Amino acid sequence: MSSANRTVGHIVSSSSGISSNLLHMSSISSDETCSKRASFVTQSSGILRSTAFREYMKENNTSSWCTDSLSDFLDYAENSPVQSSNLQIMSSEDVGKPNDWQDWADQLIADDDGASPNWNEILVDTPVADQHPKMEYYVRKPSKTTLSLPLNTPVPASPGEACTPMTPSSCGSGSQSKPRMRWTPELHEVFMEAVNKLGGSESATPKGVLKLMKVEGLTIYHVKSHLQKYRTAKYKPESSSQGPSEKKPTLMQDLPPLDFKTSSEITEALRLQVEVQKKLHEQLEIQKNLQRRIEEQGRYLQMIFEKQCKFQPSSSTLDKSETELTNEISSSPNQSETEPGPIKLGLTSSEKQQEADYSESQPSKLAKLNESSSLEL
Amino acid sequence: MKFGKRLKQHVEETLPGWRDMYLNYKDLKKLVRLISSSLEYGKSEAEFVYLLNNEIDKFNVFFMEQEEDFIIRHKELQQRIKRVNESEPSSQEEYEEEMARIRKDIVDFHGEMVLLVNYSNINYTGMAKILKKYDKRTGGLLRLPFIQKVLEQPFFTTELVSKLVKECETIIDELFPTTVVAVEMKEAAITMVGEGIFKNTVAALMTMKEIRKGSSTQSHFSLPALSLPDTELIRSFQLNSPIPTI
Repeated sequence: MSSANRTVGHIVSSSSGISSNLLHMSSISSDETCSKRASFVTQSSGILRSTAFREYMKENNTSSWCTDSLSDFLDYAENSPVQSSNLQIMSSEDVGKPNDWQDWADQLIADDDGASPNWNEILVDTPVADQHPKMEYYVRKPSKTTLSLPLNTPVPASPGEACTPMTPSSCGSGSQSKPRMRWTPELHEVFMEAVNKLGGSESATPKGVLKLMKVEGLTIYHVKSHLQKYRTAKYKPESSSQGPSEKKPTLMQDLPPLDFKTSSEITEALRLQVEVQKKLHEQLEIQKNLQRRIEEQGRYLQMIFEKQCKFQPSSSTLDKSETELTNEISSSPNQSETEPGPIKLGLTSSEKQQEADYSESQPSKLAKLNESSSLEL
Repeated sequence: MKFGKRLKQHVEETLPGWRDMYLNYKDLKKLVRLISSSLEYGKSEAEFVYLLNNEIDKFNVFFMEQEEDFIIRHKELQQRIKRVNESEPSSQEEYEEEMARIRKDIVDFHGEMVLLVNYSNINYTGMAKILKKYDKRTGGLLRLPFIQKVLEQPFFTTELVSKLVKECETIIDELFPTTVVAVEMKEAAITMVGEGIFKNTVAALMTMKEIRKGSSTQSHFSLPALSLPDTELIRSFQLNSPIPTI
C-alpha cells in the first residue's frame, strides 16, 4: 500500500438544502450540485462512453442522481473529444479547473460573517508533510494505473490550536455552504457559561456568545445553529430532535388501555426497555471493536506480505506454506506502533466468545491472503 | 441480497427522520454490477469512490447533528432532574408524575442514542460489504485501504455517544428504585412495547442478529454470528406487540 497519502485541507460543509442522497436531490441546490458532479463525470470519459451506463441512467430516472443535467452532459461528452485518461478531479496543481470550485471556495469564505476564519487553525491536528492551506474541495492522487486508490485524509491544524477539542469533520464532498463542526460536552459547557453570563438562552445573541467563548476557530455560524438547538431543547424538553411530523408521545398517549396500568407496571416496562437497549449497545460496541480488529489484522498481514515480497520477489514467496508465514509473522522483530498485529485487550465474556468464533476462521486467512496476493502479482 | 433486505426492512422500521440517512446499498450494488460488466472499469472506479465519499459525508453530517443534539439534551435532562429534586414539590403526586415523565424521557433518550450507534454500525457494515463486492466483481484492490479511511470517519467514531449512553445508564440506575419484580409485572411490561423507541431498539437488536447469521460468503473478514441468550424473550416483544408494524 502506498505510503504517500495525499492530505489537503478541506472542510465538510453541511447545508440542509443539499443532499447527496442517491435517491433524491433537493431542489434548492440540485442544479449546482448536478453541474459539479457532471463536470466531474465528464472527466472520467470511460464511464460516459459506455453505452451501458447511459442506458442504466435512463432506465433509472427516478433513482439516478440528477437526470436532466447529467444526460445533457452525457451528450456533450460523447460529442467532444475527451482528452486524457488522467483521473484528476482536482489537485492542487490544477486549480485552473472549472470555476465551480473557485466559486465554492469563495462562498465558503464569504459566508463567514466576517469572522475571517483561519483555516489552518480549524483543521484537524494530524501531522503531515503537505501543508497546503488551499480551500480544495476534493483532492485525489492522479491515478496512473487503473487500479490506483484515491485516498483522502484530513489536514493538520496549526500547532497553536485552541485547547477545547473542536475537530471539524473532514473528507469533504457533497455540499458547499458552511463548514461542519463536531461539538463536545466540554465545548458545550463553555457555551452554556457564556449564555448564562448574557442572561439566558432567550436574551443571548450569537455574536455575544461567540465573543465570550473565545474559542479559536469557532464561527458565528456554529454558535448560531447551536444556540438554536439549545433553545429548542429548553423550550420543548425531550422532543427537540424529532421532526415536526413526529411528536414525542407523552407518557399517557404512549400506552394502550392504560387505565389499569399502574405506575409500577410502567416503571417495569421502562426497566425492561433499558435492559434491551443496554444489550443492544453492548453488542454494538463489541461488533465495532471486532470490525476494527479485523481490518487491523488484514492491514497488518498485507503489510507483512508486501515486505516478504520485497525481499524475495521470486515466486518462492507464494509457495510459502501457511505455517511458514505464521512463524515469520509471530517472530517478526519490527513490531512498531504502526503494526498492530493481533491484539488481545481485556475482553468481556461475550466479547471473548465472539473473539473465539472469529479466531476459528483465522487459520484459513493466511492461505486466502496467499491466494489473493498471487492473483494481484 | 440478504443484507440488502435487512437494511431495507430496518430503514422502513426506523425513526422517520432517519430514513433518508442510510446507505444506498441497493443502488451501489447495481452500480458495482454495471461497472463489472463495463470495459473501462478503471475509470468507473473514480466515480464509484466519489459516490461512496458522498455517502460518507451524508453519514457524517447526520451523525454529528444528532451527536450535537444529544450533548445538549443530555445536559438538559440532568438539569431538569436537579430542578425537580431541589425545588419545593407542590404535592407528592405532582412530584411523582414529573419523575415518571422524566424516567420515560430519559429511557427513550437512552434508546435514541443507542439507535444512533446502531445507525453508525449498519452503515459501516453496508460499506464494508459493498466494497467487498466491488473487489470481488472487478478484481480491484479498493476495499482494504478504503475501509481504513472509513474507520476514521466521525460517523464511525462513536466513542462520545457511547460515553453519553453510559452516563445515562448511571442516572437511570439512580432514578429507578431496585425492587424485586414479579412475573406478572414482566408480562405486563412485555405488552407495552408499543410504538415508541422501545420498538425501534428491539427491532434493531433482532436485525443485528439476522445480519450476522452465517452467510454464503463468510470469510476471514466476516463477523461471527451474534449469540444472544435472550433471543426468545426479545423476539416475543415483537410478536406480542399489540400495535401492528406499519
